[in-house]
Amino acid sequence: MVPEKSVVLPISVITYIDLSRVGRELSNLDDFMLQASIRKTGTPMQLPRLSKLLDDTAAINKLNLIDEKERKALLTALTYIKEHAPKIHISFSAEPNAQFITKIAENIRSTINPLALIQVGLQPTIAAGCILRTPNRQFDMSLRQQLRKSRPLLVELIHKTQAPVKPAVKTVEVA
Amino acid sequence: MVGVLIIVLIIIAASLAGFLMYLSKGHGLFAKSKTHKSDAINDIAMQDVEHIFNDEFREELRNRGRLHFEKIIGENAMFLQQDLRLTTSQLNDYMKQEITRTLKEEFSKYEQSINDAKQLAIDSIEKTQATIEQQRQLMTQQLAEQLGAEKTRTIARFENHMADVVNHYIMTAIGNQIDLGDQLEYILNDLQENKDAIIEDIKNGA
Repeated sequence: MVPEKSVVLPISVITYIDLSRVGRELSNLDDFMLQASIRKTGTPMQLPRLSKLLDDTAAINKLNLIDEKERKALLTALTYIKEHAPKIHISFSAEPNAQFITKIAENIRSTINPLALIQVGLQPTIAAGCILRTPNRQFDMSLRQQLRKSRPLLVELIHKTQAPVKPAVKTVEVA
Repeated sequence: MVGVLIIVLIIIAASLAGFLMYLSKGHGLFAKSKTHKSDAINDIAMQDVEHIFNDEFREELRNRGRLHFEKIIGENAMFLQQDLRLTTSQLNDYMKQEITRTLKEEFSKYEQSINDAKQLAIDSIEKTQATIEQQRQLMTQQLAEQLGAEKTRTIARFENHMADVVNHYIMTAIGNQIDLGDQLEYILNDLQENKDAIIEDIKNGA
């Protein structure tokens, strides 16, 4: 048995959609197992193929999905996570690949919250960096914001550039 | 001169003859006392007179007088013509002088008027030019001031927007050139820096 609050999400389950898919698949598996239990003994049947998401979830929580109790416990835990897990929206300047998202998710789950669900967005105007949005706040960690913050410094540099530059070497007039 | 003398003699002779005829008719001093004697004398005188001043002589005198008169008339006409020509010439000269003098005076006045008008126009033009120059300087000064103010405003606006321009340029120039993989470390550092704020907001939000 896995307590609801002690369940761990595998790194392959990153988004809310992934979690919903795992929950849906687990529910289907539970239905299949229930149907199988009421069939006659010896009736040939084939266990549905589990996805990697569900496989990883069961493995990381050390659960046997054949066991009804553990299955129900995982289903309950997933429902709890769907309702209570923090949802973080993070936007990048380009479409990130899976490896990149995985590293980001690992970092967030290791430093912020192990159950954080991440939703990835796209904002090409930020040039670089990311914009992270929590339920109440937005953290702009983009290059655009960084340039905006550095605007006084840029104006100061422009003023310095516009100031007349004294010649370093004195010119000598030749008669 | 001779003609004049002849005319005088003729006049004297005519007067004498008239006087004698008067006496012969009894209107003189000897009318009554010496009537007979006088008549004889008168007759003789009349005869002499008739004898001297006969018709031929009279005709001769008349012709001479006519010729002399014509000559005098001609001479006088010539003198008159000469005087008239001289007078005409003098009159012409006088008229020329007067007209010339008058014209000179008028021209002088006209020239003076023209000079006055010219001077007035020059003064007016100079005043106008001075006013225009003053206005030009004023407008130049105002234009320079406005140009300076506009330049200052433009520079200030440019400086204010320069940062945006540079930022936009940088983002446009390198925005598509930075790979997300290269940004990973940068993003993770930012996440680490904002970790506490994110955790706090998640706790409060949840």
